[in-house]
Amino acid sequence: MSMERRRANVWLVARREFSERVRSRAFVFSTILLAGMAVVVALIPLGVRLADKATVSRVAVTSAEPGLAAQAMGTMNSFLNTSAEPGASATANKVFDFVAYADEGAAAQAVRDGQLVASISIQRGDDGGLRFTVFNIGGLAADRAQLLQVGAFAVGILDWTRSNPGATRPFVTPAFSVVDAGDAAAAGPGQAFDPADYASRRIVGIVFVVLSFLTLVFYGLWVASGVVAEKSSRVMELLISAATAQQLVVGKILGIGLAGLAQVSLVLLPSVVALFASGSIGDALLGPDSGTGASLSSLSPGLLAAFLVYFVLGFGLYAALYAAAGSLLSREEDLQTVALPLSIPAVAGYLPAVLALSGSTSWLVRVASYVPLWSPFAMMARLAVGRVAPWEVALSVGLLLVTVPLVTLLAIRVYRAGVVMYGQPPSPRTFWRAIRGG
Amino acid sequence: MLGAMALVVDHLTKRFGAVVALDELTFEVAPGQVFGFLGANGAGKTTTMRITLGVLEADSGTVTWRGTESHRLPRSTFGYLPEERGLYPRMRVLDQLAFFAGLHGVAPDRARREARSWLHRFRADDLADRRAEQLSKGNQQKVQFVAAVLHEPEVLMMDEPFTGLDPVNVALLREAFLELRDRGRTVVFSTHQMEVAEALCESVAIVDRGRMVVGGALRDVRRSTGRRMVRISVEGDHRLPWLDAVPGARVVQAGMDRTMIELEPGLEPDAVLAAAVGAGARVTHFEIADPSLEQVFIDHVGRSVDEDVHLAPVAEGAA
Repeated sequence: MSMERRRANVWLVARREFSERVRSRAFVFSTILLAGMAVVVALIPLGVRLADKATVSRVAVTSAEPGLAAQAMGTMNSFLNTSAEPGASATANKVFDFVAYADEGAAAQAVRDGQLVASISIQRGDDGGLRFTVFNIGGLAADRAQLLQVGAFAVGILDWTRSNPGATRPFVTPAFSVVDAGDAAAAGPGQAFDPADYASRRIVGIVFVVLSFLTLVFYGLWVASGVVAEKSSRVMELLISAATAQQLVVGKILGIGLAGLAQVSLVLLPSVVALFASGSIGDALLGPDSGTGASLSSLSPGLLAAFLVYFVLGFGLYAALYAAAGSLLSREEDLQTVALPLSIPAVAGYLPAVLALSGSTSWLVRVASYVPLWSPFAMMARLAVGRVAPWEVALSVGLLLVTVPLVTLLAIRVYRAGVVMYGQPPSPRTFWRAIRGG
Repeated sequence: MLGAMALVVDHLTKRFGAVVALDELTFEVAPGQVFGFLGANGAGKTTTMRITLGVLEADSGTVTWRGTESHRLPRSTFGYLPEERGLYPRMRVLDQLAFFAGLHGVAPDRARREARSWLHRFRADDLADRRAEQLSKGNQQKVQFVAAVLHEPEVLMMDEPFTGLDPVNVALLREAFLELRDRGRTVVFSTHQMEVAEALCESVAIVDRGRMVVGGALRDVRRSTGRRMVRISVEGDHRLPWLDAVPGARVVQAGMDRTMIELEPGLEPDAVLAAAVGAGARVTHFEIADPSLEQVFIDHVGRSVDEDVHLAPVAEGAA
């Protein structure tokens, strides 16, 4: 058979699959449902911000200089905790609850124990300027940290006017730094993350991991059920006499993959719009806040490209497995019994991906991000969070590139033997026989 | 022998686990013939066709068409009507036909035009825009037949094409077979309906449990049992009382119009005719005939072609 004929048949099969999927009611409904879910996920940061507005952060203030802590507390209290609108009660807008601690170590311990969100240590530098160090363990939201910086600036100005009435000493902008012990632990030696950026990366990572997981398992099942349907409706007899197993398997994977990609695009588009819009909505409702705006900053074109690569390769791998499994079944009811065991490899990959999202770089996470069945989730999670060496990405993509054609060839063998087999119960033995006998 | 030009099934053997589906099956189909592949269910007809199409692999033996092993030939060499009929339930008939023809390399426009013309022949123009799930079984079968012939294959493999069709459609399909043969196509079909095979085939092969029982030109096969028959019609008493006086003549198939009589060796047909005339019967038809294929099948296989299907459970219950 000529090369063109082969390619033409793959394309014919793919086109039929694509149009049948896209026109089906299930496709339309699941697209709407998933798009809705994605928009909800995209709006979570906004919700968090709204909820966050109601909470009060307990923050310790310590200073070695006598009186400075009390003075700073008073200033920040009046600056940060009073309402801008006249008539509003003071408590309604209370954001911080400042507590005086005599000892910096005790305050840090209270933060570690979870009694406090953060502790602020104020020191005076040689130039007379103040240095603010905010210590927390991942508990201080980005917008709160920013408010504290504003407060620190006010404290600095009042301190300058008070301690230096003649204004002979130039004003020194107070130094302000946030130390996040939790993040530092996660980051390990080397780069440390801006907490806002880190939160944003996690959100984007969660979206990608969940999306990869759902789509690969979901579209994989499409492939399996498509093969089973062809067998149970017996149209397979006609198909297999008109085209080769190779053309049928590759065409089906291609057609359903394209349908899946179309759906993913339709699902992602509204949520990306929602993500952008939620930034502006949030700013309008809650005032400008660079912290939430950053939730999109980590959604880089590179990450999208990586998602595309891992989706395509991951789908190729899972779809081939699902096609082989489907070819061994005779009835569509059988699919339900094998759907769960079929999803086990994906679930096993989901776990390390979740670990990776929390910043872990343990051996489990690293190995999972190279293993072809898992790397579409685990490496996606690691890429979203960051801290991945280029060789690691190259290794995981390279392994996928090698595995996908191998598994597809194997799937074609199983398929060729499986599609003419009727009535045998799906068992590892029939699977093995099909591989050998294909 | 035809050899290089024919469809040659040569010592074909296939096992499914412990079951021997084909056991050194050997026969030839001359090009341009209508060939009947006769046997009960499970005789190995479908397996032979699947191996010919390259869907299954034989354990040993070969199928060659014009000297080339069939699985090395382009798939479009063959047109296949599977025994298990099936189409995409949700797809429109014309789209399916264009799709399957497309897999064989037929351009969409041409496929659609030809499909419409075939549907017209089968008096089924209105099916073109329907979805397969809306079709009756008979109509689905017609669509499948069209799917098998649209790409104008050299060899047609039809597995039980007449099963489930009403007499009108059987007649339409028979015409189509003969026309395809006249266009030079080779038509191989399996059936357990002996009358159909008798009416259509130039050659037949009778298979049982994967083995060749008897095969060749229809006439030779019918004469293969050594039985000699005469067929006679008389006016008046159809019970033919005068036949009792002819030793060695036995009625095998009594009929109001024609009666089939088997002659034992040594008895000449003339003796029957002479006895009839001598008894004063008015003979309107007299013919030296061959036994029916059904009879040939029973003689060779030891049971009727339908027997294992219908009688096996009863026999089991009786025992």
